[in-house]
Amino acid sequence: MDYNRYKDETSLNFDVLKEIGSIGTGNAATALSTVLGRKISMTLPEVKLVEFNKAIYELGGPEKIVAAVLVEFSGEVHGVMLFLQNLKFINVVMEGLLERHIDDLRDITEMEVSALTEVGNIIISSYVNALSSLTGITMNLSVPSVSINMLGGIMNVPIAMYGYTMDKLLTINGTFECDGEEVYSRLLMLPNEESLDYIMQKLGVAN
Amino acid sequence: MKKPYIVGIADMKLCRAPGVLVTYALGSCIGICLYDNVIKTAAMVHIMLPTAPPGVPVENVYKFADTGVKEAVRKMVAFGAVRSRMICKIAGGAKMFETFNNPEWGNIGARNAKSVKEALRREGIRLVNEDVGADYARTLFFDSATGIGTIKAFGKPEKKL
Repeated sequence: MDYNRYKDETSLNFDVLKEIGSIGTGNAATALSTVLGRKISMTLPEVKLVEFNKAIYELGGPEKIVAAVLVEFSGEVHGVMLFLQNLKFINVVMEGLLERHIDDLRDITEMEVSALTEVGNIIISSYVNALSSLTGITMNLSVPSVSINMLGGIMNVPIAMYGYTMDKLLTINGTFECDGEEVYSRLLMLPNEESLDYIMQKLGVAN
Repeated sequence: MKKPYIVGIADMKLCRAPGVLVTYALGSCIGICLYDNVIKTAAMVHIMLPTAPPGVPVENVYKFADTGVKEAVRKMVAFGAVRSRMICKIAGGAKMFETFNNPEWGNIGARNAKSVKEALRREGIRLVNEDVGADYARTLFFDSATGIGTIKAFGKPEKKL
């Protein structure tokens, strides 16, 4: 496997990755709209290959408090999906689902954590399903894990996973918009090197 | 307080009193503080993985616990620190996602902590205090004037190290 190709931004087919991202995020937004019964859309996805420290700052800074849902995918391709959301986004979900409002993430109840985990899981699953039917690649998903904490610590998970071979993170990410207003949330797909090559091959765009 | 020097991921910084070092949001990563009280000099390393892969040239020694500790101790000595006087304090090594049980990555924090301790033993450096494990991220400050660390975490009281 040619690892160097992944390290170099210019050799990645960003347009294809963007297309993959928008199919996934489009489905995720539809799923969330259905669950909450209100109009949710997603911005055009961004594809970025950036150094670890820079990636964290671009996502909001190391000490930003977020609720993160993590799902690992395996099978023909491997990697993790992360869904990051801030308090405002959580409240959009809580008001739609449980008719509750959370003032401080420190006071979040078990039931509310479980609801936000499930919503994260739905969003991630619909993204992966869309990608899977587009490419014909089978992807198995793990059970979702949740963490409400500093963004930097949460991002340690993918950073450690890819740290042996890389100094950069490849993220394909989208942001949700509720009733036309952007609310902090990031849906990240973090595939490993071999998987990226594999997806490209399946789509017939490998160079 | 003086503006602290920021230590990034897979990074190391060294300073003299009254300098303050900080590294933000340690998850499974570990912040290692080395300190020589006589010359009031401190070093902070932020490692992310337990051991450097064998047989591969290491581009960044501060990524790994074994190579990171070794190089930081060497730098401290170069700046006048004495091994027998040097102490160490560590923080981090958490398991951020409780149910993330990937056999290789689920317990990376604990493996990092173990590897740091082994590396310190090899270098003959005393580990005097630690705050590792649990399931939350830590921001670690270290004051080179006093040799005292401060840990900040979400929803937890501030802690001295």
